[in-house]
Amino acid sequence: MSTTWWARSWHYFWYVVREFTSLPLALWLLWFLVEIQRAQNGPKGYYPHSSTGFVVFSVIVLLFAVYHSVTFLGLAGVILHFEFLDRPVPSRLIVMSQFAIWLVASAVIAFVLVYFGR
Amino acid sequence: MDGQVDQESYDVLIVGGGLAGIRAAIAAAEMNPRLRIGMVSKVYPMRSHTVSAEGGAAAVMSKEDSFETHAFDTIKGSDYLADQDVVEAFVREAPLEVIQMEHWGCPWSRNPDGTIAVRPFGGMTTWRTCFAADKSGFHMLHTVFQTSLKYPQIRRHDEAFVTKLLVEDSRCVGVVAIDMRSGRFTALTAKSTILATGGLGRIYAFTTNGNICTGDGMALAYRAGVPLKDMEMVQFHPTGLPFTGILITEAVRGEGGYLLNREGERFLKRYVPNKMELGPRDIISRAMVTEFEAGRGFEGPHGLYMHLDVRHLGEAVIDRKLPFMRELGREFLGIDIVKDPIPVRPVQHYMMGGIDADISGLTPMPGLYAAGECANVGLNGGNRLGSNSLPECLVFGAAAGRAAADYASGARPVTSNPVDSMLRDETRRVESSFLEKKDGEERIGEIREDMQRSMDEGAGVYRTKEGITELIKRLDSFRERFQKIRLYDSSRTFNTELTSALELDFMLDVAETVAHSALAREESRGAHARRDFPDRHDEKFLKHTLAHATDGAPRLEYSDVTITHFQPQARSY
Amino acid sequence: MTEKKITVRATRFDPDRDEKPRLQSYEIPFPDDSMVVLDALNFIKAHVDGSLSYRWSCRMGICGSCGMMVDGIPKLACNVFLRDYWPRSVTVEPLNNFPIVRDLVIDMGDFMHKLQSVKPWIIRKQELPLGAGEHRQTNEQIDGFRQFSQCINCMLCYAACPVYGLNHEFLGPAATALARRYNLDSRDQGLKQRLPVIADPEGVWECSFVGECSVVCPKGVDPAKAIQQTKLDTTMRFVLPYGNRE
Repeated sequence: MSTTWWARSWHYFWYVVREFTSLPLALWLLWFLVEIQRAQNGPKGYYPHSSTGFVVFSVIVLLFAVYHSVTFLGLAGVILHFEFLDRPVPSRLIVMSQFAIWLVASAVIAFVLVYFGR
Repeated sequence: MDGQVDQESYDVLIVGGGLAGIRAAIAAAEMNPRLRIGMVSKVYPMRSHTVSAEGGAAAVMSKEDSFETHAFDTIKGSDYLADQDVVEAFVREAPLEVIQMEHWGCPWSRNPDGTIAVRPFGGMTTWRTCFAADKSGFHMLHTVFQTSLKYPQIRRHDEAFVTKLLVEDSRCVGVVAIDMRSGRFTALTAKSTILATGGLGRIYAFTTNGNICTGDGMALAYRAGVPLKDMEMVQFHPTGLPFTGILITEAVRGEGGYLLNREGERFLKRYVPNKMELGPRDIISRAMVTEFEAGRGFEGPHGLYMHLDVRHLGEAVIDRKLPFMRELGREFLGIDIVKDPIPVRPVQHYMMGGIDADISGLTPMPGLYAAGECANVGLNGGNRLGSNSLPECLVFGAAAGRAAADYASGARPVTSNPVDSMLRDETRRVESSFLEKKDGEERIGEIREDMQRSMDEGAGVYRTKEGITELIKRLDSFRERFQKIRLYDSSRTFNTELTSALELDFMLDVAETVAHSALAREESRGAHARRDFPDRHDEKFLKHTLAHATDGAPRLEYSDVTITHFQPQARSY
Repeated sequence: MTEKKITVRATRFDPDRDEKPRLQSYEIPFPDDSMVVLDALNFIKAHVDGSLSYRWSCRMGICGSCGMMVDGIPKLACNVFLRDYWPRSVTVEPLNNFPIVRDLVIDMGDFMHKLQSVKPWIIRKQELPLGAGEHRQTNEQIDGFRQFSQCINCMLCYAACPVYGLNHEFLGPAATALARRYNLDSRDQGLKQRLPVIADPEGVWECSFVGECSVVCPKGVDPAKAIQQTKLDTTMRFVLPYGNRE
């Protein structure tokens, strides 16, 4: 296997990107923990000079996370199989339900963060 | 360059890894688990041509059916050339083999109540063809192959090309084979040997058969002195795709497909009015050729053809019963059979003739058995009914496996001295006749293509004395040209030019037996149709043709057909 | 009118004489639009260079012999139309991720070993006697595993899988699909016997769902689906106290 195997086709390339997203996600989590630690002193003192950088980095990582989540949730239709009333549930329905759960969960978490952040 | 010599010994050795060969191996292993069983094949078993069979396996599965009906259908289908005792034993064993396959995992299509379903098929008066969608051969081959993996006493030699039978004191004691990977010559000795090498379609240019169907086992037996029986009986399947020759299963007609000529007419009403598209293959192929000659065929870039129409069946039926046909249409022709008619023409497909063998697969040579398409046990006579050959492989593969195992359990071991020198002689023969030929001018591929074209012309659906005589002349000339071949591949590793040359050598032999047998049978019976002798002549020709090898042309003899219950009658549908 | 031609480049390698594989170029007539790559190879072997070696048999996409890399993508040579490449040249190479034996022929030993390792036969606690007839099974039950039973063992999926390329111990797509075929067959009771091989770290767990195997599969087997479903099934068996998913 050559070291540039991932460049051989678009499929391979986007797969490596998908796998790679775990790295920035992990880094973001560490940075986030640092920010939480900083925020311990209350909202008054919490606008460290790194905030813009953090926001920008967060946006980039959000894009990665969305890409990873979309590919992951899309696969639910492949992996899961259910039967309802003796007929297989169409995979599109399963995928849509996964995205719906994701959106609902995101909305709930967003609401909680904003509400308690005020 | 010397190839190293090697010997391995078995109790039972099977040549060929298709449905009959693998079934024989399992039968031998089950009969006597202590036997050492070898299976040698020039390809990995999953590649055997069984894999392309589509339609199904006929067996008496319901109370509405009877052994007598299945036997009569088969005997009438054979144009009364079948040996009736063999047919009667076959129809009794076939249902057990179908059940055995099911137990081993074959995904037979089912009735709503979970029992094995049956479909109508050509020449069968009742629905009795069990099927695994329209990939029956694929599923059956993979089932037996995967099942065979659980028997550790079956040892496989994959991609080993058998060049000659080893005969000592008129007894078959094994084979010489070339391991394709290393180029080494090996003697595989055995107390009993079963040939299960399949058909010979590649002697023809237009055939459903794959590259590997070159009549190897038939030629091996023939050269060792075993006669080939009824070689003139070559089956032409009515529905092959033009250009490629890819098979469109008879099941398409079984499910209700129509054969239409250029005028949109279901022309078979003028040939087999009572059975229409479900008539026997030989009659339908001749009907199509007759229609072509009357100018009622479609003209295309790859010859004349008819339409096989399934549009009226609807997408649901096609996807459930004929999904592979839809796939083939899409991938190879870019058509959708739900909306387009399928172009078809008669194509060489099966060989009723083959190695002379009895009901247990035993040939006239002690220690040598044959099963499957390469054998002629007397089941199919002058014409085989569709869906009889898959159960044929199972029934007679199992029978040969048991008989060979039984013989091996009591036979004396093979002595190594004569085998050593036979192996050395054969190695020398192949090396000097093929590998060392550097100054010849003929290419293997070119002689082969000329032979194939000549066979299509001279030994096709309709034959004439002039046509066959010309064919024989050409075959003789190809033999001469073959003496002057040049091989461009002198490698020891995976030399497929050498194996192609060896295959061509075999094919020229079996082609010769086809031509000579066809010339001598001056009547029309089953698939053998002579324009100059259009009628059947039971008084003279209700006999099997036996072709024996000589230094020149084959010597022909005739043997009786076994008749038990069904006296020959006129054959019409 | 000049005849149409096409250039085919094929890998050549004879271990007795060559240090490494090289590409050889052949220009051949292209008279018929229905011609496939296999037809080109056959023409070369018959009329131009008899020493070109490759596997083929059925030419109808069911025997699985003719798997090759065509312009870098694993395909069955019998079902790739030259017209989709003409007037450009076509490059034919042996399947990726397998040791090369000769020209376009690769070593299938590892694959055959993996196929056998998943015990691809019906395993039952108690065999049904022949006289009892067939197991009752419906077409719907067969539909449950039908897709995974379509594998022709062509190995295109192994050639496409970068995980297999990086780690030859990986069980791989086709073997897992075959294991699942038997695990889902209502007649089979052998899941437990197959678990050690499929639930092994180098069994399904090595797969990181690249998904290329299912993209290249010529028979729609979807081995990626088989592997992910197997991951879920084996996990549930492990997690649930009365893991009874057979």
